[in-house]
Amino acid sequence: MTLFQLAWKNVVGSAFRSWVVYLCVLLVTGLLFSFALLIGGTRDSLRLVQQRLGADVVVVPEGTETEIESALLMGHPVTAWMPRENEIKIARVPGVRTVSPQLYLASLANAPCCTAEMLVMAFDPRTDFTIAPWLGQHLGHSLSAGEAVGGSDVFVPYGEEHLRIYGSEIDLVGSLERTGTGLDTALFLTFETAYEVAENSRTEAIRPLEIPPESISAALVRVEPGIDPRVAALQIMNEVPGVTAIPASGLFQGFRRQIGGLLQGMLALLGIASALSLAIVGLIFSMAVNERRREIGVVRALGATQGEVLRALFAEALILALGGGATGILLAATVLYLFRDLIVVSLAMPFLFPPLPSLIALVGGGLVAGCAGVGLAVLFPVVRASCLDPAVAMREQ
Amino acid sequence: MVWLDGVTKTYRLGKEGMVTAVQAVDLDVARGEFLVITGRSGAGKTTLLNLVAGLTRPTDGRIVWGDVDLWRMPDAQRSHLRNRRLGFVFQFASLLPSLTVAENVALPTAFGSHRREPGAHERASELLRTVGLADKRDAYPRQLSAGQQQRVVIARSLINDPEMLLADEPTSNLDAATECEMMALFAEIHAMRGVTILMVTHAPQFVPGCARLVEMADGAICARGSA
Amino acid sequence: MRVLAVLIMILAILIGVVPQFFNCQYDGKTLVLANGREVPMKCYWTARAALIIAVPLLAVGFMMAFTRRVQTVRVLGVLGAILGVMAILLPTLLIGVCQHTGASCSLVMKPALILAGILVIVVSLASVAVSGRRVEQAP
Repeated sequence: MTLFQLAWKNVVGSAFRSWVVYLCVLLVTGLLFSFALLIGGTRDSLRLVQQRLGADVVVVPEGTETEIESALLMGHPVTAWMPRENEIKIARVPGVRTVSPQLYLASLANAPCCTAEMLVMAFDPRTDFTIAPWLGQHLGHSLSAGEAVGGSDVFVPYGEEHLRIYGSEIDLVGSLERTGTGLDTALFLTFETAYEVAENSRTEAIRPLEIPPESISAALVRVEPGIDPRVAALQIMNEVPGVTAIPASGLFQGFRRQIGGLLQGMLALLGIASALSLAIVGLIFSMAVNERRREIGVVRALGATQGEVLRALFAEALILALGGGATGILLAATVLYLFRDLIVVSLAMPFLFPPLPSLIALVGGGLVAGCAGVGLAVLFPVVRASCLDPAVAMREQ
Repeated sequence: MVWLDGVTKTYRLGKEGMVTAVQAVDLDVARGEFLVITGRSGAGKTTLLNLVAGLTRPTDGRIVWGDVDLWRMPDAQRSHLRNRRLGFVFQFASLLPSLTVAENVALPTAFGSHRREPGAHERASELLRTVGLADKRDAYPRQLSAGQQQRVVIARSLINDPEMLLADEPTSNLDAATECEMMALFAEIHAMRGVTILMVTHAPQFVPGCARLVEMADGAICARGSA
Repeated sequence: MRVLAVLIMILAILIGVVPQFFNCQYDGKTLVLANGREVPMKCYWTARAALIIAVPLLAVGFMMAFTRRVQTVRVLGVLGAILGVMAILLPTLLIGVCQHTGASCSLVMKPALILAGILVIVVSLASVAVSGRRVEQAP
């Protein structure tokens, strides 16, 4: 028999105590892992959106920053217009390399002329740098009139061949990768297609699509190499009245502030739950060691060294830590994976389940944290037990 | 084999102050002998046994095994000595409840350098046959009577082929008939295996005739004789 | 064993009840055919079919709680595991739910059935594993 086998037998032999410790560790690691996944998932999601936009600065009509961020993050419809001539004004600002205008439209919900309610983003193919790279890589050509590319959750309903937007039939020619944000339910088409749809909607749709003439919703800006986007943003706001220029690094600040409060609350809860659980684990082990003093004395009398007693007791703690930790992590990962869409909708926060390498790192980190936490919780009672005078230990009940 | 030189053991007992359990004891245990320690409760018998085994440090004096002072060894070496050269039979139920009978018998082989040696479970089975409990190898201690449990403890004490067996009132929880059987088993072990036996007992009338008797009172040896 | 049986019963109730409140029919959404007739969407039928899994699973849990025979527990455990697999297949391969990711059937019913199915499989197999050990241990 090895020390590990002895530890295993002791774990199995005291079912109630083992279950309590196992469940405490399950709770702590599950919560820790969930929290880390949520934080990481939100961060990855926001990063992907910024990458997808590809812009150094996003220029929007003054006062519409929150709605536009909400549209990008959660896919909420937004109405925001500024004069198209702003495109030229922005292009003249020193340090600006490319300006690409965009229209933000919305299809109708529960209408026969529209497949589904979705955010429709129209772009100018001559200047676009958001969708164009993806088109080049995946389709090998730009979008023709009547064609569109959708986010990962946009699909043509079963039995139909086209999407319907305000009565116009649109060919869905591709799907972008998942971002965990509102962009996953967005439809991307060219300005030409958007204006055609608006024109057709006067006769084909239950309500026409209104696009104010010579108007755009936003302008995405790329700056020259070496130019600080924050400086460029300030200059744009100085030279173009009625707009707000947001550097990419400042995108979604409002959301980050909101979610920061929520995450702080979660962190506080997590801290309390972890502290309580680990305190219970330490208490349980302390009680167990106390009850087993005579047993420990016998084992020492039979020839176990202090080190062997220490290792056997730590092995018991490790078995429970690994078991509870692995279960907690598996449970948390399964729940978060299955309910990822509900998280996005109900918490109104972007969330992307991490790719496998990040997930493995998180799992490893979670297990290490769980084992370290339990090790710390049981350190005092275990060390005290191993240092007991065997004769004294056997004498006490 | 073992030599106690002026050994004293004093305990601190809470607010009651200091208690001297063993007072300046000189004792020589020869190899192969059957030494019985008797005396009233509180005479210091169990403490003397614990001192011989190195389970508790003497307050004064020396305990010498062969030619080595027991308390000049590091803890690991003392543990190794207990594991290799000693067997224990305790007064209380000392089997681990989470292990089967066979696993309890083999338990001493889990420690020290035994850990990698094969054949432990075979030896355990053989010893269980010797004490008449071969059919109980997969049972748990709670399924055995007090007498059966004590026989398992005796089997465990022999697993490492010890030079000395220390038995602390091994029959105190048993009825007279079982007590007689148990003592006969000790006598057999002593005769067949040549193991040195150091036994604390309230019932010296059952010990073999070859045994040497030592009586303790108030922590000191007050009489020496034979059975 | 009784704990595992109770867990199975709780999961059976969840499998039966949750889909009834998280399907498009409950949300007032139906499929309008070309002839103008309104019919329920497929998530409605998934919710109904979930009852066919929930009721026998509840019986499995109930019987497991009160039987003492090891063989019976093992058979019930295997049956429970099979029902767990069916609970997973129902919203995925057998009938399915609406494709739209914002629908309550897609947000709640489908993941809930899959999770409950996984837990039913785990608990059922655990009851099979534990049932044998109960015979070996002493009274």
